[in-house]
Amino acid sequence: MSLEVLLAIALGGSLVTYLLSGVNARLRDGFAVLVSLAVAAGVASLYGRSDSTAFQTGFLGMRLVLRTGPLPWLFAMTVSSIGCLSVIFSLAYMRGRERTGFYYAMLLLIDAAMLGVVLSGDLLSLFIFWEVMSWSTFLLISYNGGPALAAGMKYFVMSITGSLAMLVGVVLVYATAGTLALPGVAAAVSTASSGFRLAVLLLFGVAFAVKNAVWPFHAWLPPAHSEAPSPFSAVLSGVLIKMGVYGFLLLMYVVVGMRGFLSLGWRLLPFHMILSIIGAVTIIVPTFIALLQTDAKRLLAWSTVAQAGYIFLGISFGTSLGVAGGTLHFLSHAVFKALLFMVAGAVEYRTGGVRDLNSLGGFIKKMPVTFVVALIGVSGLIGVPLTNGFVSKWLIYKTLILEGSPFLAFVALIGTWGTVLYSYKFLHNIFLGQLPRQYEDLEPAPASMRLPMTILAAVVLLFGVVPGIPLRAIDAIGSSFGFVGLHAASWGVAAESGAINMVNIFTAVVVGLVIAWLIFRAGARGVRVDQADSYAAGAAVPPDKYQYSVDFYGPLRRMMAPWLVDRADAFFMGLAARVGELSDGVRRVYTGFVGNYVMYVVLFLAALILVQIVWSPW
Amino acid sequence: MKILWFVISPLAALVVGIIFLGLSRRFMARIQWRYGPPLYQPLIDIMRYFTQKSVSHGAIFDLGVVLSLAGSLVVVLFLPFGGICPLRGSGGLLVILYMMLLAPLGMALAGGEAANPNSSIGISRKFALALGYEVPLLLIVLAVMTRYDSISICEIVAAQRAGLPGIATFPLVLSGFAYLLIMPAVLGLRPFEVVQAPQEISSGPLAELGGRYLALAQIQHALAMFIGISLFVNLMWGGASNPFVFFLKMLVVLAFGLTVNAAFPRLRIEQALRYLWRWPTLIAFVGLVLVVVIGR
Repeated sequence: MSLEVLLAIALGGSLVTYLLSGVNARLRDGFAVLVSLAVAAGVASLYGRSDSTAFQTGFLGMRLVLRTGPLPWLFAMTVSSIGCLSVIFSLAYMRGRERTGFYYAMLLLIDAAMLGVVLSGDLLSLFIFWEVMSWSTFLLISYNGGPALAAGMKYFVMSITGSLAMLVGVVLVYATAGTLALPGVAAAVSTASSGFRLAVLLLFGVAFAVKNAVWPFHAWLPPAHSEAPSPFSAVLSGVLIKMGVYGFLLLMYVVVGMRGFLSLGWRLLPFHMILSIIGAVTIIVPTFIALLQTDAKRLLAWSTVAQAGYIFLGISFGTSLGVAGGTLHFLSHAVFKALLFMVAGAVEYRTGGVRDLNSLGGFIKKMPVTFVVALIGVSGLIGVPLTNGFVSKWLIYKTLILEGSPFLAFVALIGTWGTVLYSYKFLHNIFLGQLPRQYEDLEPAPASMRLPMTILAAVVLLFGVVPGIPLRAIDAIGSSFGFVGLHAASWGVAAESGAINMVNIFTAVVVGLVIAWLIFRAGARGVRVDQADSYAAGAAVPPDKYQYSVDFYGPLRRMMAPWLVDRADAFFMGLAARVGELSDGVRRVYTGFVGNYVMYVVLFLAALILVQIVWSPW
Repeated sequence: MKILWFVISPLAALVVGIIFLGLSRRFMARIQWRYGPPLYQPLIDIMRYFTQKSVSHGAIFDLGVVLSLAGSLVVVLFLPFGGICPLRGSGGLLVILYMMLLAPLGMALAGGEAANPNSSIGISRKFALALGYEVPLLLIVLAVMTRYDSISICEIVAAQRAGLPGIATFPLVLSGFAYLLIMPAVLGLRPFEVVQAPQEISSGPLAELGGRYLALAQIQHALAMFIGISLFVNLMWGGASNPFVFFLKMLVVLAFGLTVNAAFPRLRIEQALRYLWRWPTLIAFVGLVLVVVIGR
């Protein structure tokens, strides 16, 4: 399938979906699923291809180009598959809500725009698709109204700031290179002076950092992710913020080029190390903030910020293992975080919109499938061996340690322990413990929600046991940047890059489980008891009160809360307040009455005449 | 021969772990001027638990207990036990650090489905305490990995055997000292016995376990004891050339832990965290800085 046709299907599908909602809701739902499936299939068919086509030649005398290759393909594949699963998940989630036609059209439009971003072969079309993506995302974040509107506004303002910086960057590049097509730009920028390279990195970097929620530009993410409709949160967290990762990879290793990027800065503190340190900060602070959250989706949102930190740390570290680890972690995170947001969405759907972690519990009895997929997703997030998150994090740690950055490795490893804590809190407070009486008739998640969740959970496990599948695609990306190959085999990474053998580990764990289970079987059988039949020191179990989930890590919270103030957010909110005051002041002058404006003109003229009479400068 | 290691190593760990359980009860008794139970008492207890009736709270409750034991069994395969190291080429120390997660995670799942707030409190304390001692522990482990420029625990042991044990060399002596300071917390001994705290939260995660569940938890506890001590002997004390010497070295570390256990009352979790994040962390941090600056 050619690239123009693919994009045309994606964009046109969005429009037709919107029009169809006037005809028949069921027809529209089916069509939306069909379009997203077709796009995913189309992208899959591009595997291994590497070419570019100009789809528009006469725009300002520039050619707008679409291209594909190892890097665009991996991102396009992730975007289209997560997008497709999210549409399927939406079927039940959105039923009976208002403006569903608008919702589906926007969801498909965002997917199409993201495809456009990754398939763009020149900076102008990149910018155009980037803008389409930002605008349509704003519309969906604020879909629910109320607090969602404020969250959307915050996103929008930060996003616009990033886009403006990017526009300046585009102009700057065009003024120097005389072209915006990526090969030409890369040739011109990578040989330019170090100051110019730094300027390009910073200008584009602001736009990508806002999207990727790198500290201190993360402030928009927690409210936006928690207020958006859950299936869209999955897209937002799974792939949309990863456009920032794509942007950084493109910027660092294609436009500026590996050599040009790694040689920036001072000898003792290279520029890419500064970026790595920013990545480390993005890991540690949000991880501990996530620990204190009581809103399921807000907890996941903070966790997204932290995981984006791992990705950013990996790709900016600039070793072949680091870039591979960061890129792989992007993929891993896309899968398990989309899954976890869907879990939160399924719970929200069945409980009538409850996200408060203090008021749930015991759902494992009512939603067993959702619990199992949540467990798998959480294991991926922690990076338990045999899940995809383990392989990607292992690559990052390994390179940090062996390249002599133990402090960065320490931050990354401690971040993982923080992840264990908040992940378990998420799991425990929703699914474990006592089931409140009001949820006794809770029904399991509908099949159209279970299907995408099960697929994602299967991918988490598959990529964990056979990491060679994604690693081969990622190895191709690394080679296209000029890095040494990883020699990825299907079971892991070969000894030259530091052996890890997932199949050995897998076998050991399975045999361990079998032996432990055999020992377990040898004992006398247990009697299955109800939750009311729990140990309470001889007293009857008080219903609805025998649960420990409020303030789950109380001692930790008491110790850490004073240290964990989101200063970046406070700064931006302060800035917004100042700008608001300034605008208020301006409004006092710009009253809207013509009489006042006439007065200003007359006063100004009078002042000019006075000046001329007294000093006669003209 | 290598295949046999896969059988010998977990069995040896099991035997040593259970001996340690019996020994620690005996050791504590002698400190308190009692006779104490016979050395094989834990074995009798475990066998008795297997025959007793128990309650189950569901599939995850069962699976969690099994997973916790399996996780510990697998970690043992990665740890050299005086020259015996079955899984040497599969990822090294980083994998061990991660595999050590499986056991508490399994216990947390079982305790969670037990639907008992005592268990939940115990688990929340376990994770908080683990976060507490992981900070200095990771600094220590990173110092060792940086010093010997390897993430393979077998190579680290070999490097120490070629020279002096890690704790006897200059920058690593700080890390070793910090490790001793956090050792009771890693082993779950007093003053860090906050997770089970029998008098306070009814043994925490174990509150709902009986019969074969308790038996598995006891076996896992024995293995956890083995793992905690073995990690120190391998990373800091140069391992050993044969299992017997290794066992003797482990005994010394255990005796140290038990002495501390006998001498101190239980801390509150905040006090424990404050302790762990102050001196041990500071010393471990200085150790790591020195290793990075001069030690390589």
